[in-house]
Amino acid sequence: MTLDAKDLRLEDLDDLSFDAFSFEKLFSGDVDDPYPKIHKWMEQGSIIKGKYRDEFSKVPDPFYVDEEQYLVLGYDAVTKVLMRPEIFRNYEAQIKTLGQFFGEKVLTVLDAPDHTKFRKIFQKAFLPNVVGKWGDTIVQPVLDGLMEKFLDRGEADLIEDFTHHFPFQIIYRQINIGMDQAPVFHKIAVAQLLSAVGRPEGLEATEKLGKFFSALVEERRRNPGPDLVSHLANIELDGELLPTDVLIDFLRQLMNAGGDTTYRATSCLLTGLLTNPDQYAAIEKDRSLIPQAIDEALRWEPPASVVYRTAVEDTEIDGVKIPKGALMNVVLASANRDPAKFENPDKFDIFRSRKVRHYGFAVGPHVCVGQHLARVEMTRAINAVLDKMKNLRLDPDKPGPNITGHILRSPEHLYVKFDRA
Amino acid sequence: MCMQCGYIYRQELGDPDGGIPPGTPWEDIPEDWKCPECGAGKYDFDVVEM
Repeated sequence: MTLDAKDLRLEDLDDLSFDAFSFEKLFSGDVDDPYPKIHKWMEQGSIIKGKYRDEFSKVPDPFYVDEEQYLVLGYDAVTKVLMRPEIFRNYEAQIKTLGQFFGEKVLTVLDAPDHTKFRKIFQKAFLPNVVGKWGDTIVQPVLDGLMEKFLDRGEADLIEDFTHHFPFQIIYRQINIGMDQAPVFHKIAVAQLLSAVGRPEGLEATEKLGKFFSALVEERRRNPGPDLVSHLANIELDGELLPTDVLIDFLRQLMNAGGDTTYRATSCLLTGLLTNPDQYAAIEKDRSLIPQAIDEALRWEPPASVVYRTAVEDTEIDGVKIPKGALMNVVLASANRDPAKFENPDKFDIFRSRKVRHYGFAVGPHVCVGQHLARVEMTRAINAVLDKMKNLRLDPDKPGPNITGHILRSPEHLYVKFDRA
Repeated sequence: MCMQCGYIYRQELGDPDGGIPPGTPWEDIPEDWKCPECGAGKYDFDVVEM
């Protein structure tokens, strides 16, 4: 039987009452501020033994238990590890985690030469000149639709009403699935990560998304449209289609990482601005400051605080011997708050010099493939807030925003009051 | 533009950390220069109309 796109449905989790979002918080951890500890580590050296996650979370890592582990700290050491992909590889470091959540052919698990080959194809669909065109057609309608639901109230929780949804809905539009399926997609996208805390719903989510995308890719190859999946499903590499498993694993990761990171980054941007009203007033007055405000948010609270690599040979960094097989916990957050590179690094300051490149999107061959789309989305989001919400301020009758978590950080709530423009 | 990551080389900014002073034309950048974002080679860059 031939499936039509409109007939494709993503199957929900078997246990409909399972709350994936509550369990996600276990993964994020409940640490308010990991930075005092990160600064203390940096004083001890650039490479010290330790497991980042175990320092902040009571939930044990079920995957990487026996490996010797090191924390990589500070801007220069992080650069040295991430810019030497021939020694510090992704496959060994990610196969048991991201390889399980999204599939073993996902870009983040691959190394050169496969990574180089496939990355170029995916990146082509997300280059600045391509994603810039999505601002009007895809991003803006999603922002407008969400904001229309709360603008008349004069108060909102900018996380639950806005940032927690728009990046995910943008992805749903890109792949052209019915918006009626949005809640299930959001839940399943998040649930994929729950294998990391030992929940069986993690694998169930991964399998169900895989089944859905297999059918969607097959359908889009038969009946291509103008959407992203049609584009990727029919693109040719040396005369052959992109391997289906590579594409499905990419889409599984896109559903999660593409939404989750932008949601958190935008939430932290708004938190930084609204807790520093003088800086919010500055961009209200001069919107050319928006790009530097976005960069500052990405430096101050990178969407992922840590990434992992495995040393595939004996090596040495800054005089510390690293044995083959060591799992390197590369603390991006430490690079972005390295006092040797950024003056007064814990301060959110949109006016700071941008001479030093931050690692909010990491660095090296695995630098975020979606970074240009994330910038378009964040720029549109902050412009929409400036356009439609006047006299925007924190709600004095509700708790202020508190950015929490140790790997994926963001505030749970951002209560505001405003006048509709 | 780097086809591996989307980094855009701007002549007016150069890449001081990579040893390329501001104002350096693209053709004067050495062949062994690496993209500061992802480490790709100069051959991975294409001219793209924005």
